[in-house]
Amino acid sequence: MDRKNLNIVAVTACPTGIAHTYMAAEQLEKTARQLGYQIKVETQGSMGIENELSQADVDAASVAILACDIAIEKMERFARIRKIEVSAQEAIKNPRAVLARAG
Amino acid sequence: MPAEFTFAFPLPDGLHARPASGLEEIARLYASEITLFNQRTGRKASVKSVLELVATDTRAGDPCRILLQGPDEVLAARELSRFVSEILPHCDELPPAAAAGAGQAPLPQCLLQSPVEICRGTAVAAGIGCGRLRRFATAMVCLDSIANETCDEAREKLRQALQAVDALYAARLTLTANPATLQLLKAHRAMARDPALRQWLEGAVAAPGVSAAQAVVAAQNHFAGLFSACASELLRERAADVRDVCRQLLQALGVPAAAPETPPLAEDSIVLADNLTPAELLSLDRHYLKGLALGQTGPASHTAILARSFAIPCVTGIDLLEAARWEGQEAVVDGELGLLARAVTGPARRYYDMEQRRLAGRLARLQQLAQKPGTTQDGARLEIAANLSSAAEVPAAIAAGAESIGLFRTEMLFMDRAEPPDEEEQFHTYRGVLQQAGDRTVIIRTLDFGGDKPLPWLKLPTEANPLLGCRGVRLYPRIEAQFRAQLRALLRASVHGRLRIMIPMLTQVGEARWVKRVFLEERAHAAIHDSSVALGAMVEVPAAAFALPALARELDFFSIGSNDLLHYFTATDRAQGDTAELCQPAAPAFLRLLKTIADDAHAGGKWIGLCGEMGGQTPFLPLLVGLGLDEISVSIRAIAPVKSALASLSAVECRRALAECLDCATAEEVLALAALRPVRQPAPLLDERMAIMCSDAASKAEAIKELCDALYVAGRTDLPRQVEEAVWQREAAYSTGFGHGFAIPHCKTDLVSANSLCVLKAQRAIRWAADDPPVKIVLLLVVRNSDKASEHLKVLARLARLLMHEEFRARLEAAETAAALIQLLANQAGFKEPED
Repeated sequence: MDRKNLNIVAVTACPTGIAHTYMAAEQLEKTARQLGYQIKVETQGSMGIENELSQADVDAASVAILACDIAIEKMERFARIRKIEVSAQEAIKNPRAVLARAG
Repeated sequence: MPAEFTFAFPLPDGLHARPASGLEEIARLYASEITLFNQRTGRKASVKSVLELVATDTRAGDPCRILLQGPDEVLAARELSRFVSEILPHCDELPPAAAAGAGQAPLPQCLLQSPVEICRGTAVAAGIGCGRLRRFATAMVCLDSIANETCDEAREKLRQALQAVDALYAARLTLTANPATLQLLKAHRAMARDPALRQWLEGAVAAPGVSAAQAVVAAQNHFAGLFSACASELLRERAADVRDVCRQLLQALGVPAAAPETPPLAEDSIVLADNLTPAELLSLDRHYLKGLALGQTGPASHTAILARSFAIPCVTGIDLLEAARWEGQEAVVDGELGLLARAVTGPARRYYDMEQRRLAGRLARLQQLAQKPGTTQDGARLEIAANLSSAAEVPAAIAAGAESIGLFRTEMLFMDRAEPPDEEEQFHTYRGVLQQAGDRTVIIRTLDFGGDKPLPWLKLPTEANPLLGCRGVRLYPRIEAQFRAQLRALLRASVHGRLRIMIPMLTQVGEARWVKRVFLEERAHAAIHDSSVALGAMVEVPAAAFALPALARELDFFSIGSNDLLHYFTATDRAQGDTAELCQPAAPAFLRLLKTIADDAHAGGKWIGLCGEMGGQTPFLPLLVGLGLDEISVSIRAIAPVKSALASLSAVECRRALAECLDCATAEEVLALAALRPVRQPAPLLDERMAIMCSDAASKAEAIKELCDALYVAGRTDLPRQVEEAVWQREAAYSTGFGHGFAIPHCKTDLVSANSLCVLKAQRAIRWAADDPPVKIVLLLVVRNSDKASEHLKVLARLARLLMHEEFRARLEAAETAAALIQLLANQAGFKEPED
């Protein structure tokens, strides 16, 4: 697989939806950019779903990272895609290791 | 034909000594026989006997009938029914801290992590007190040494002792300014005067061989037993009052050791006692008394009320056997969590030092706020004044932050006596008020008596409906000599301060002209007076409200008496349950009336205030601000809360909200609208009080406590330990340290009044969790649960993202002052600059 064109979708969610949801999203976006990956991260936090992934977004991607501490909404979108499930905390502390699993 | 009236007993705690002594105080003034029948218990009592009243075991809602028979039965019935409807329902209002009840809150982490020893109880007076634990043992009465007395000797001794005790209470009453002590002394005096007690004592000494002292001890056991057997906890607590009164009697009889044996406090002390009577508490040296740890004494006892009034931390329900082992040791009474602690060293010591800083910080902030002029957040002025009835209250009003005295009622001077006070006596009282008030304006209201507020010396014909009869200014032509004497006394006193004179119950311009003529005549004859004394009137009759343009040409100022105005406007009486629904200050019709009054007064170039109860009720405050009043005058206790609420309001938004409320159909709609409309300026996420730039927190627990305390000091929560608990619950999911020396604890809770960010920079690195590197910067995020989509949430999300960037973290670390930190967050995360 061409790593430069790796297309990733991700969802982040945490218990209160105030901090870690956004911290994890930022880490994944920032690190993916550094690695030259395409990424779109949806947040499911206290303001509800933002930057929502459409079914087309998911279908066009090669892998989905679910960095979630809680059950998320609209899980059915990810039925047919390869999923990497980690905690939000892991995405914050080791974003490179998480992204390495995507490659 | 005997007079009578019925009512449902209004107080949740039943008829106990405090309300009973209030009834007795009035009944005593009349010659008629006055009896209360409790139709549920079937018991009856003379209203002139506190003890008999209490023994009716009257509970909330009990149907009661008061029957009056005698020469002044009609007057007595009016006065008593007024008391029952207006004053009695408020007899038991406890300060909010006590009413809320601390219960058994979970212990905070700081204490759990320390080896402190703890006795749990219930907090009844807030605060933290440290000192050496002293056991208070109630003195035993020694009756052996009493010589035999004949029946006559015993009776005579008792008579003298009762007289001496009565004189003692009278003397103490004149020396006391503390309202809680006054109320207590009055209740005790009423007990000592009680016919039932006297009858019981006389009956006891009628038996041969019973001495006066033995009779008192027997009476104490009898009446204390009576109270102890009552169903209501509050009544059981009155047993201590009986013991106090009987102990005073024994002392007057010269019985040895009858005086409470006060352990002389010579250093900061915590007093431990199973049941401390109010007199025992008053006998302790309050300079050294730092806290009370009590066994049986309940939250509504006079002892607890006094402790709150003197701000002595107090915990009850302490296991005496347990705590007594600590006698002589250093201890802490924690009136916040409700416990007594020993071996307070290390982290526990640091915890209590932090607690004292927290309480002092909040107090300083409230005092600072209370001493500032009343102002909305957007800078509109609204003077906050005090309603008073006696000169003794003036210092307390000023200390509470009163900018002026908006209503000084003169009725107290005239009540409770056979003859009206003369000009000289009145002059001394008014001068005292004006001198104490200094450069603050004092509005003194002239006599407001009439059919519904009768006076023994004022013989008035019976009216079918006294509320609509001859009262206030309507009465003045009939008592012109007294009215003139009051004006003369006021004019003489006027040179001692800043006086304004206010006339009650004005209806027509003709009345205003009559009063003004009399006033100008007296002024012309007055040798010494301040020629700038203003003459104004209460607006409490709707006709006067609509005559305001004409009245404004005669008088200098107006104050809305919203209670009576509402009754007369809606033809209701809030004391009568079945019309209460029609009697709502928030009704759009009433708001329109208030708007007319405020606008007409200002159109006439005149000052307009409001001195009714709605002024002290903060839910109505946005509406009153919207009216553009010059002043509101409230009870002393309401001053600080009203000023604090005012400081968070936007006058511009309040005016808009009022305009919308005037178009509402019902009071419910008005209140819903006023609560929903953003009449409050949103508080900034972070202000300087919430940035702790140099913390000496030694642990995660201390850091979290310090941050939650900052929310308390900033006035954003009243329950910092519960916010802390919510933060720890979130920590339990997983630790919020995220490396690089940062942690971001957070929670969602409606225990805070506004979304908040607090920042703590630690001097020493703190261990946050087992796997986390040490932390030097802690950011606490507390978001209201009910907030689903505010700008704040976006800002906090942005902040969370920024924290993932090395450069931003470095700039946070470099910010040395709170101002620099707030500036950085404003620039980077889009925080608004705090506006105050």
